[in-house]
Amino acid sequence: MPYFRATDPFPLESADHTKLHEFYARLAAGRLATTRCAGCRRLAWPPRAFCGECGSDRFDWTDLSGEGTIHAFTVQEAGLPAGFDGPRVFAIVKIDGLRVFSILVGAEPSKVAIGQPVRVSPLRVADDPDGNARWLPAFCPA
Amino acid sequence: MRKVALVGAGVSKFGVRKASYRDLIWEAGKACFDATPAVKPKDVEGLVVGSVLPERTAFQSHISSMAAEALGIRPSVLSARTEHMCASGTVGIRYAYAFIAAGLADLVMVLGVEKLNQPTGDEAILNMGTGVDREWEAAFGLTAPPCFALAAQRHIAAYGTTEEQLAMVGVKNHTHAAKNPTAHFQKGATLDQVLCSRMISTPLRLFMCSPITDGAAAVLVASEDRARDLTDRPVWIRGTGQALDGFQLTSLHEDYAHWPALERAGRAAYRMAGVTAGDVDVAEVHDCFAIAELIAYEELGFCRKGEAGPFVAHGRSDYGGDVVVNPRGGLIGCGHPLGATGVAQAAEVFAQLRGEAGARQVLDAAVGLTHNNSGMGEHVVMIYGREDR
Ligand SMILES: [Zn+2]
Repeated sequence: MPYFRATDPFPLESADHTKLHEFYARLAAGRLATTRCAGCRRLAWPPRAFCGECGSDRFDWTDLSGEGTIHAFTVQEAGLPAGFDGPRVFAIVKIDGLRVFSILVGAEPSKVAIGQPVRVSPLRVADDPDGNARWLPAFCPA
Repeated sequence: MRKVALVGAGVSKFGVRKASYRDLIWEAGKACFDATPAVKPKDVEGLVVGSVLPERTAFQSHISSMAAEALGIRPSVLSARTEHMCASGTVGIRYAYAFIAAGLADLVMVLGVEKLNQPTGDEAILNMGTGVDREWEAAFGLTAPPCFALAAQRHIAAYGTTEEQLAMVGVKNHTHAAKNPTAHFQKGATLDQVLCSRMISTPLRLFMCSPITDGAAAVLVASEDRARDLTDRPVWIRGTGQALDGFQLTSLHEDYAHWPALERAGRAAYRMAGVTAGDVDVAEVHDCFAIAELIAYEELGFCRKGEAGPFVAHGRSDYGGDVVVNPRGGLIGCGHPLGATGVAQAAEVFAQLRGEAGARQVLDAAVGLTHNNSGMGEHVVMIYGREDR
């Protein structure tokens, strides 16, 4: 089958496709990073290449601590999209003062609790059409 | 600004339909024109089509022109499609309203249509992931249910809302839908059935969720002069409001039981209409999930914050209560063909305010409200009146 963007559920992460490729490069090395606006120094989540506060398109990359706590979660048992297995723990993680949406992997769903410490656990997903590895910023119990 | 009114409405059968995207457009158009004998397709000056996913579900864009041709409408002043995820239909009505109020058009059809069900069920759910952020949310497999489940978790934790109270929204709306021949579900539901239905995303069970539905709906919107020519019972658009808290989950209020944008959209609509929550006789609110209806009671001012659980449990949102919410069966009972939903809500209020809702009629309904949202952070509210002021 030829590659179709319309049926690939993952972002194209390489420098050929996104200004945010540094995020994915650091994630592949196990680091969770985001952008800090070079104009007004605001830390953003998710990373962004334009600041709606000051209008700057210059930014620096900053590593986050990689460890946070669960602020809210739900366990989806049915009705997930094809290719995404359940039960699946969706969570909002508080990390370095930011709220990050993600999934919790390697956890027993019935044991997940608000306030539970978690750490970033890069999740490898399908390679991109050029054969490059792709990663998503998932979390696991700390 | 000029006064604007609804003068006609029609809805296709909602459900898992053996019908094409164009079939659904034909059905809603015919229903609307049949119900409005004074208007022929050639009389309609503009068409706005609310539709979210035709590129994916019918491999079709250029929607407004396609629909106009299907219905024999030749737009002379306005032709457009509105895509705003689940609120696309009401956003379309607002566009028609603004054109007519500004004097740029006199008679516009707003049609909402969606063909969500596909030969394989997997594809329909995959497509629903287009409504959240692809890179930061949908790439993890996120669709709507977990978002609203997070709100339900918070409402339970903060206010002691119970699973039974969530289930009562499902019971009420399935029961209402049993009296609506166009609804997806027609069998009603008991509390036990709702509480024993399959868990979708904790704590939301299947019968607390809207299903994946095909359907279409249409309304005719007219200027005051044209409306009075066409009918002796126009239903007036009295107020409207739209507000946004954010797109991504992590941009919203930190406590997902609070939807400030809905409160703002409602306040703007009430102020414009010169009414308060207590004046509303009938409301079509966006119960994509039971928790959404409960939070809507609170943010729209039908009850105080945190009191929505007892409000539904005591029947205050049902016939004989303070306000009849979702008499057509809501999204839970009728289904949620995205772009069609807001237009079908307007069609129900149109019928209710004209006294034409049959077995679902709310006694002496004079003021109606519709609420359509796109996720938890984006809301649109319309207020309709039997009287023009
Ligand atoms: Zn800045």
